[in-house]
Amino acid sequence: MKEKVFNKVYAQIEALHREISLLSRKNPNDGVSKFKLQFINEALREANSILTDKQKPFVDFSEFDETSIPTTSDVTLILAQYLGCLEEVRLDHI
Amino acid sequence: MALIKPRLTDYYNLPFTQEEVDFAIPFLDEDIPLYLDPFLLWKSPSQQDNALHTAIVNSFNHLGYLTNKGNEDEAIKTLIKISECYEVGLGDSRKRIGKPIGEKLASEIITLFKSIPQISKSGFVHFEEIQLLVDQFSKDRVSDVACSYIKSFLIDFTIDQCNKLGIPMDKTKLEVYDYKKHMFVEEEVTLPQNPENRLPIILVPKRWLRFIPWLNYDDYFITSFAKEERERVEILNYNRHNYGIVQNYIKYKELQQLDCESDPLFKPIPVLSVKRKLSTILKLPTGKTGKADKLYEDYICQLMATLVYSRLDFADTQSRTDSGVQIRDLIFYNNRTYDFLKDIYDDYDCRQMVMELKNVKALEREHINQLNRYLSDQFGRFGIIITRNQPPKNIYRNTIDLWSGQRRCILILTDQDIKLMCQLYESKQRLPIDVIKRTFIEFLRECPT
Repeated sequence: MKEKVFNKVYAQIEALHREISLLSRKNPNDGVSKFKLQFINEALREANSILTDKQKPFVDFSEFDETSIPTTSDVTLILAQYLGCLEEVRLDHI
Repeated sequence: MALIKPRLTDYYNLPFTQEEVDFAIPFLDEDIPLYLDPFLLWKSPSQQDNALHTAIVNSFNHLGYLTNKGNEDEAIKTLIKISECYEVGLGDSRKRIGKPIGEKLASEIITLFKSIPQISKSGFVHFEEIQLLVDQFSKDRVSDVACSYIKSFLIDFTIDQCNKLGIPMDKTKLEVYDYKKHMFVEEEVTLPQNPENRLPIILVPKRWLRFIPWLNYDDYFITSFAKEERERVEILNYNRHNYGIVQNYIKYKELQQLDCESDPLFKPIPVLSVKRKLSTILKLPTGKTGKADKLYEDYICQLMATLVYSRLDFADTQSRTDSGVQIRDLIFYNNRTYDFLKDIYDDYDCRQMVMELKNVKALEREHINQLNRYLSDQFGRFGIIITRNQPPKNIYRNTIDLWSGQRRCILILTDQDIKLMCQLYESKQRLPIDVIKRTFIEFLRECPT
């Protein structure tokens, strides 16, 4: 069951990273819409529930603040970090 | 309370923007610079609008009937009466009350029913063409005549809108044109009133309003005459004797009816223009070199009115002097149409938002104090300074101290924030006003709990 949840979160973060990277290449300083942020945060919350404090990319970061208008490059950076950490966990469990 | 350019809805604290309602929100102390264009009623797909246009034209042609029957005096009297409709508050009057036309002009108009055979026989189809036949009869008269004839309908429309939106009304007596009897009758109706002078206010659907009527003298001059200097009166005389030219112009304009649309009270500038203005602002030097301060203020005025549009209605720009320094402000109505705007209304009594513009390299304590002194009843305790660079730490600290001591919130927006607002305006990913909200939240996080 845990494996299924992990695979889902991994796939979601990977897909989000791919999508936002495309936007980021075009306009790295553009804001990300509230609609997108809501789902990105949902995926990040699921990832946080899987990762231990030591496995998480940053101690101080858990999800994006909607009011702070994160840019596409901010979101890409964080998603890439999460993707890296999830990959670490995956390799540990092969 | 001294609001800047107060509107009916602001007086009653009703939270809706111009964009959300079907009528032009009237100002309390001056006219709305728009006019009812009867052509929009004529071209409208709505049968009701067409019927109202027919009613206007029939009523106007009744003046011709009276004239041809030898009852010219009554026609003149009626025309004078319908030539001003102060209740609607459209036009360019600074006091909301204009004057009716004089007897001489009225008589000149009535004479058209005798002197032009086509009009004498069939009457007008678009009475706006009087602008092309008689001097001193302009767009505001066209608008007022049309409003006077359909006043009864407009009263019903006003009552309906007021009931829907909760605008208070009071009983008042008004003279209304009776379409069946072709005379004015006094009626007791309930209408909203101007709180400053207790005069009744009638609302007008915004789909009928334009800055210039579709049929107008300047357009006629450009389309129908060779480009050479001619006296206006000479042309009007020529038109009266060669009515066929006017008829051809009207036919031509009728064929172009698809291009005739109502004008919004405020039109945001397009993305390309926003980008150009931003790039000019970013290149401007700070200070007053080469009138950079004036240019900065002009461009920011145009940009901000567009960037926050639909959430904040633009009220006015104003210049004031504080301690011998000329200060330029932007004023917006706070309609509480966004969570953050509602918060500043509730917490800081901000009924109108003031933005002060400062094209300086570094913000100084005095700049903060200037705005702080200006924050009064109508602005509440919330203001924004728009400047070029991040303020020095001690100045930012000063704004936090102001909040701690007097619960006054002064936000500072810089070139970077304006740039982000423009970017959001272009990409449509977020509302540009979110940048102000972000600054507000960041400011509150810095404030002591």
